[in-house]
Amino acid sequence: MSRIRRIILCAVAFLVLSGVVVPCLHAESALGMIRKRGYLLWGVDVEGGAPYAFPDPRDPSKLIGFEVDLAGAIARELGVEVRPVQNAWDSLIPALERGDFEIAMNGIEITPQRESRVLFSRPYYIYTEQLVVRKEEAAITDFGKLKGKRVGTLSGTAAQTMLEKIGGVEVRIYSGQVEPYEDLATGRIDAVLLDLPIAAYYARPNPKLRYAGEPVGEGFYGIAVRKGDGEFRDRINAILGTLMQSGELKRIYEKWELWDKTQERLLKQNTSPDGYVGLEESRKAPLYTFLPALLKGAAVTVIISTASMALAVVLGLALALSRIFGGAPVRSVAAAYIEAYRGTPLLIQLFILYYGLPNIGISLSPLTAAVLGLGMNYAAYEAEIYRAGIEAVPRGQMEAALSLGMGRSLALRRVVLPQGFKIALPAITNDFIALFKDSSLVSIIAMVELAKTYSILAVSTLRFFELGLVVALLYFAMSYPLSLLARRLEDRLKGAGK
Amino acid sequence: MITVKDLHKSYGELRLFKGIDLVVRKGEVVVCIGPSGSGKSTLLRCINGLEFFQQGEIDIGGIELHSINRVRPSRADDETLRKVRRKVGMVFQHFNLFPHMTVLENIAEAPVRVLGLSGKEAEERARALLRRINLEEKVRRYPSELSGGEQQRAAIARALAMRPEAMLFDEPTSSLDPEMVGEVLAVMKGLAQEGMTMLIATHEMDFAREAADRVVVFDRGEIVEIDTPERIFTRPRAERTKLFLSRVLRR
Repeated sequence: MSRIRRIILCAVAFLVLSGVVVPCLHAESALGMIRKRGYLLWGVDVEGGAPYAFPDPRDPSKLIGFEVDLAGAIARELGVEVRPVQNAWDSLIPALERGDFEIAMNGIEITPQRESRVLFSRPYYIYTEQLVVRKEEAAITDFGKLKGKRVGTLSGTAAQTMLEKIGGVEVRIYSGQVEPYEDLATGRIDAVLLDLPIAAYYARPNPKLRYAGEPVGEGFYGIAVRKGDGEFRDRINAILGTLMQSGELKRIYEKWELWDKTQERLLKQNTSPDGYVGLEESRKAPLYTFLPALLKGAAVTVIISTASMALAVVLGLALALSRIFGGAPVRSVAAAYIEAYRGTPLLIQLFILYYGLPNIGISLSPLTAAVLGLGMNYAAYEAEIYRAGIEAVPRGQMEAALSLGMGRSLALRRVVLPQGFKIALPAITNDFIALFKDSSLVSIIAMVELAKTYSILAVSTLRFFELGLVVALLYFAMSYPLSLLARRLEDRLKGAGK
Repeated sequence: MITVKDLHKSYGELRLFKGIDLVVRKGEVVVCIGPSGSGKSTLLRCINGLEFFQQGEIDIGGIELHSINRVRPSRADDETLRKVRRKVGMVFQHFNLFPHMTVLENIAEAPVRVLGLSGKEAEERARALLRRINLEEKVRRYPSELSGGEQQRAAIARALAMRPEAMLFDEPTSSLDPEMVGEVLAVMKGLAQEGMTMLIATHEMDFAREAADRVVVFDRGEIVEIDTPERIFTRPRAERTKLFLSRVLRR
């Protein structure tokens, strides 16, 4: 009986799975579906994506770049159109697996750990890594002189792995290609190691920067398709072969000034190559091996949140007092500050603070910018919380203090503020926990805190799930004691009279 | 001690005082009675500088409140205001004890912070006052742990700790349960007997009759009549006094 039931259950489950889940996971071959649909979905990150794929400066509604040309050629050979799908570079592979698009092609290096998740086409470009320094730099002449230096690169790239292998290099991880060169020009870092096409487009035209030494390392960009789309991959390989034979690929690369002697080897490289030794071990490594890196990230998170909260508390109090007790001009300045900071996204404020200020000659370190950005933003919220707290203290309290001969500021400090603080405490705690989690936003200005550490580790090992759980747990382990502490403080204050 | 001359006060369009005159001599106990909203409390708050007035003069032991610029006070103006408040203590209808401080801290706070007494001196002063009003065992308690009557007595002690020359009482028993009114009035009577200059706004007619040197009858922002309690309560001259007394005494 139970056995029959189990069989029925399995059958139903199978039907449900095949009926609901499998179509999303491409029951049909990708090739067939693309043909039927008439277009190919291509996962790409166009943000700072030159010369790969980026919005045409003359007509930003149009994408240009050598990969745009290549994707166009491939689609043409397939007899369909191509539609780019914007996706953060870090997560192109997971998005491909999820089924957001059929191919991911965006300077994705062929590495063993990626090959364990997706299928790669034959290489379409042989990349090298180019070291870039400031014009006046004398000490860093080539790749071998990087020990003890601050070197920027992109998250999850082969360059990152190379830098980490040297040891003793302070690697700064960015998620866009423009920012590392910006930071190099303003002196926040000492060098940038990135794929040659990136350097050619972003660094070569910059008069403040220059190449240091010959390109190093060598690897292949491949087009990623889902495991199971082997037939589709073979078709792409055939198309790439045709494009190489016909010289069309060369013409595309020449157009983008990317053709060099190295690329001639592409023809011979007609199978997916053996990558250099990658992070294969780390993919299988037990979770605790990541703990030191994660704890270091957590420490940075704690430092940033505590420092910015301290700033928010002090600045917020000043704002609240100005708003309640200040003269008309002071009052309106405080109100304007609060409205401006509450009414604009923190992300934009951080961008302006870190990447915008250097335009007018002010260059802040990542930590300073992070603390200032978060602190100044949260000060606006704190100010309103304090104002509510202070205004909730009965007027009679101030009057009683004044009638005893106290001055206004003494009365405020000794009588009104302590009571206002007690009223505001739950909201302050709430705000601090929110700030604590918002601190993950500062990863966009090259601060490697906990969230950034997670994305770096997850991108290079592709273990988004387990690492994600560990990181979430770490965040919770840090914020929950804060709630407990606040609750205890509240209870203690409650003991101190109504 | 306290001289009020031709006091005018209005709230926007609403004119409350249209010229009030009142003199409180040293050691005198003056009780203000009259319907709610007739201006008793406002007069007290003007004398303490908590409210400001548009016209007229208030002189407190030689300090002129009317010369203070209340719109844009200078440092000297603030100082004058603090001097006035050090001369006259104030007791409020809702006690206004500081809830985050113990009874002792409530009383010692201003002597330490304003007069510059040492913590020890202030504590001795506070304990002596609390002994006098029978509240010494509550020194370490918070206001929320005290009954209303105890809170108001502590508030009186807090004002007295500044050693004021005069005391203002703004309806000190109005928010108390009836059984607690007596203990507060007893403390006030004791103060009166010791010769404290007092100006009291109250609805306690018996207290006015027994403790006042003079009674001031307020009605709609005007002083209707000033006289000894005996005459006010037995032979009032003004119609409005009679009307008010007939209303409150019938109860």
